[in-house]
Amino acid sequence: MSDRTGTLESVGVAVAATTPRSAVPSWAWGVFKALIPWAVVITIWETAAASGWNGSVLFPPPSAFLSYAIESDFRVGFGGDAMPIPVAIIVSALRVLVGLAIGFAAAVATGILISASGAFSDMVMPLVRGLAPIAPIAWIPLGIVLFGIGNPTAIFVVFMGVYFILTISTVASVKAVDPRLIKTARSFGASKTQIWTRVIFPAVLPHVFTMLRINFFAAWMAVLAAEMVGVKNGLGMMIILGREMFNTKLILLGMCMVGATGYAVDVLLVQIQRRILWWERAP
Amino acid sequence: MTILACRHVGKVWPGPNGTSVAALRDIDLSVENGEFVAILGPSGCGKSTLLELIAGLEPLSFGRITLDGKPVLGPAPGVVMVFQEHSLFPWLSVKDNVGFGLAMKKVPKPVREARVAQLLERVRLSKFTVHRPHQLSGGMKQRVAIARALVESPDFIMMDEPFAALDFQTRVLMQHFLLEVWLEFKPTIIFVTHHIDEAVLLADRVVVMSAGPGRIIEEVRIDLPRPRRMTDPGFNDYRARLTETLEREVMRAHAEDDGLAVSNAA
Repeated sequence: MSDRTGTLESVGVAVAATTPRSAVPSWAWGVFKALIPWAVVITIWETAAASGWNGSVLFPPPSAFLSYAIESDFRVGFGGDAMPIPVAIIVSALRVLVGLAIGFAAAVATGILISASGAFSDMVMPLVRGLAPIAPIAWIPLGIVLFGIGNPTAIFVVFMGVYFILTISTVASVKAVDPRLIKTARSFGASKTQIWTRVIFPAVLPHVFTMLRINFFAAWMAVLAAEMVGVKNGLGMMIILGREMFNTKLILLGMCMVGATGYAVDVLLVQIQRRILWWERAP
Repeated sequence: MTILACRHVGKVWPGPNGTSVAALRDIDLSVENGEFVAILGPSGCGKSTLLELIAGLEPLSFGRITLDGKPVLGPAPGVVMVFQEHSLFPWLSVKDNVGFGLAMKKVPKPVREARVAQLLERVRLSKFTVHRPHQLSGGMKQRVAIARALVESPDFIMMDEPFAALDFQTRVLMQHFLLEVWLEFKPTIIFVTHHIDEAVLLADRVVVMSAGPGRIIEEVRIDLPRPRRMTDPGFNDYRARLTETLEREVMRAHAEDDGLAVSNAA
């Protein structure tokens, strides 16, 4: 058998070695393909603006709003309220990440408690299911009343926006754990606690994390909305400031940053999933 | 010496709308220490249920099972189970999968790692200790599953169609490997399969079960010298006899189903 296993292993090596290699690495191709639609949209937009399109006053092209950022020294606002754009990005991104992290940890813990105890489930599940449908944005006024204006409100809004949904997701994922894994663990002498910590917990994490990713966008929108109506800094404030000053370049610059930052956070979440929760493929 | 004794064992599962389904009825089975027993039967005959009862993973509905003279009340040390594919923990590396049982019993890490390394050497997976299950072929995964069972130094191994998901060549390799391991460590093995050839090739004794509810309808001692090959004289006689028994049973079950359908229609 060892001979034949040896053959199988060498076949694997041979296949790996003969994988075709082109001059351009595959990731560069991926980036190139992803950039094509952007290039098309921006070209049309810029061409229209350059050829005297009226709408370009309300809808300035990237060349206009990006150069505006340079002109204004990457700062928005006046006097003491002025804030560098990178700070606005970091402030908004940190708020959503902290809210997501607390929401994820709390939801997994609650979901596992609910799954472990029938009585607790009967008491708490109706509450969770009643609160889950409330949109993250709807929590903003309550957040301002409770925490005033500032970071805690933004984090509270993100937390409320993901906690209930992720709790339901955890409960559903616990039910879906492959019973063969649990039987295997039991036959190897795992105690009830060990089955929860060593089998069910790792088995549900990737699923709940996927739900976190899906709900990240709603949480991100909620943070921006909170920044617009009350929190008064971050990327949301940048857009609302543009509206108040009727500065469309600032509005579009803000939207551009919101999109880019949201995309970057999603890429970060995918990387976390691939590297830390690698046992289920990230969708 | 008898290690396992099942007496009048029955299992009833709850069915839809408060009904119940009999999975096993009146199973009498004795297994000697170090014996290799194959359980052969059509799908849905309760073979897997019987293993789970013996492993202490499910409570009995009727009868009594004793292991080493003691009644089975839950998973017992020294009794391990090898399932079909996909029973490895996908989040653990090969060595952590193999060391899982020892970790559950809080065996100190140095002892555990030495024992795991020894077993991985034995199943020829030393080069794959830090690989993850999804990076392995089906046959390698089953070798990990077998190593995970052997690391416990088990007296008793139960295998639930362990090679069913493997292709023919890999299955033949794994069968040889299992026999090597069995001859070396001499554990008692109960091996569930629906392959007649596999049962005759591996087992000292083949127990044939009927379908719904599962009963033992025949026991055949395989008196062929080892190592066996499917081309050995005498192999065909066993194959023919078991095929006939199984066919008769399948036809009977089928006729019964038809009868049931007719009576329901009427």
